[in-house]
Amino acid sequence: MQLRHRRQSIVFFISLGACLVALAVTLNVGWILLNLREVALLTFGIIFFGAIIAGLVLNTIFLVREIRRNEQHDSFINAMTHELKTPIASIRLYLETLQTREVNEAQRRQFYDSMLTDSERLLHLVEQVLRASRTGHRRRRINPSVIDLGELVRECLETARTRYHLADGALQYAESINQGGNNGARVMVRGDLDELRAAVSNLLDNAIKYSDKEIAVSVEVAATDDKRVEVRVTDHGMGIPREQLKRVFKRFYRVPGRVMTRIKGTGLGLFIVRSVVEKHGGRVFAESAGEGLGSTFTIQLPKAEG
Amino acid sequence: MSAVLIVEDEQHLADGLRFNLEAEGYRVDVIGDGETALELLMAERGRYDAVVLDVMLPGKDGFTVAAELRQAGQFVPVLMLTARGRPEDVLKGFESGADDYLPKPFELAILLARLRGLLRRYEWIRRDRAHANLSSTAAEQSRESTSANAVAREPEDERVFVFNGKKIDFGALELHIGARVVQLTLMEAELLRYLIKHVGQVVSRKSMLEDVWGLHEDTDTRAIDNFIVRLRKYIEPEPAKPRHLLTVRGVGYRFVAEPVQPEK
Repeated sequence: MQLRHRRQSIVFFISLGACLVALAVTLNVGWILLNLREVALLTFGIIFFGAIIAGLVLNTIFLVREIRRNEQHDSFINAMTHELKTPIASIRLYLETLQTREVNEAQRRQFYDSMLTDSERLLHLVEQVLRASRTGHRRRRINPSVIDLGELVRECLETARTRYHLADGALQYAESINQGGNNGARVMVRGDLDELRAAVSNLLDNAIKYSDKEIAVSVEVAATDDKRVEVRVTDHGMGIPREQLKRVFKRFYRVPGRVMTRIKGTGLGLFIVRSVVEKHGGRVFAESAGEGLGSTFTIQLPKAEG
Repeated sequence: MSAVLIVEDEQHLADGLRFNLEAEGYRVDVIGDGETALELLMAERGRYDAVVLDVMLPGKDGFTVAAELRQAGQFVPVLMLTARGRPEDVLKGFESGADDYLPKPFELAILLARLRGLLRRYEWIRRDRAHANLSSTAAEQSRESTSANAVAREPEDERVFVFNGKKIDFGALELHIGARVVQLTLMEAELLRYLIKHVGQVVSRKSMLEDVWGLHEDTDTRAIDNFIVRLRKYIEPEPAKPRHLLTVRGVGYRFVAEPVQPEK
């Protein structure tokens, strides 16, 4: 109902804008016809009306964009509410259970495990939100150090493996550093360890989250040329429609459709990836052959000397 | 032993709920998505005495599941659980056919009490219905001797209410208007029963929520209005100009069995 209301308001503002522009154009034409002989008045009028028309168009575009953004923010709040309240509900339920009932030892241990997992989930969410607001500020300086990218990625893979209880074959890792036969070389980048780790883990989390039943994710670290290094995360999951490949990096944005109601998320993960990578002077992009055909996310970072 | 179906996709919550309901002595099944739950409930009518339904489910959400159940004439009591606690969500929940609504995070004791309440009411209705079947067979043998048969548990006049050419059968949850029969949901019937009990008196929305649903929080009292709109559709010849279920502005509603002006 609210959504329909918003659509209506968008339509209203667009038509209002169009009407006002049409009115201004008509007045402009009238002015031109009336003042054909007076060059000064004519020029003044054209400039004046031109300014009004431009202003109106800009105003309409701005309004519609704001309404859209508001909509996304709403869906974010909704997702956040759910993501925050669910683990709290679960922890509370287990605590109340332990408080009021006789629970045997095995069950008690299982309850503790569930509560720990839930509190980790909460912490992860809170960190994600804080990071999103932190990386959103362009000015904030990063805390640079020279990092072994290969080691960082391997570490993230290990964390993901334990966190999602994955089999050994589910996450594949490969390194290709073909530079004058220098196979023992390591891929080094300059940057903030914590932020880069968050970016890589977010890509991994997504690859696992949006995989179908079978999880098969391959991660590759490569030195493409003298100046840049890459991390490529490929999954065989549900893929991304072509027209959405760029939008997925926007803050709060989630691809609309049935799939997204099945898989929960806040729309912050890829936004964080992009902010972090751009702050490190790199870029990130997504590729996908289409829906159901998996996707590949690539982070490119400038190589550090040494 | 009552059977309860939990429809919840969050594994931890589902496990915790199952443990507690089993400890209460219920038979419990857990299903993780809306579609499967709907299929199961449609296929096996009467297998469950109550459903604990989450809203944010993969596939079909809880609102859709409840609405489709009601549409298919399945009136198993539904207790909706959800992280969304805004008034409009509560309204939507009741509108879609839920009998009760509890926002997450909930208190365990409250959840159990609400569930017990639903099961108890459902049990009463069923006992009523069984009783109705009993007395109607008896009535076939000796017509017009219902007063003698009805002594069993409940007097006949509490089970069936007749007003202005309409008959409400609380046992079968049916409303008879001439030849037309309308199937009422559990809570619709409960609300009607409550209004009829206070016939002629003004009943506030708050007292309806408290006495019929057992809700004591600051739930938005407009949830009631949806039920009234539905009831009006059933019993009023012209729902826009109600003659039985009158609105008392700013307070609530008043039930009038026999309107003063004659029907046209």
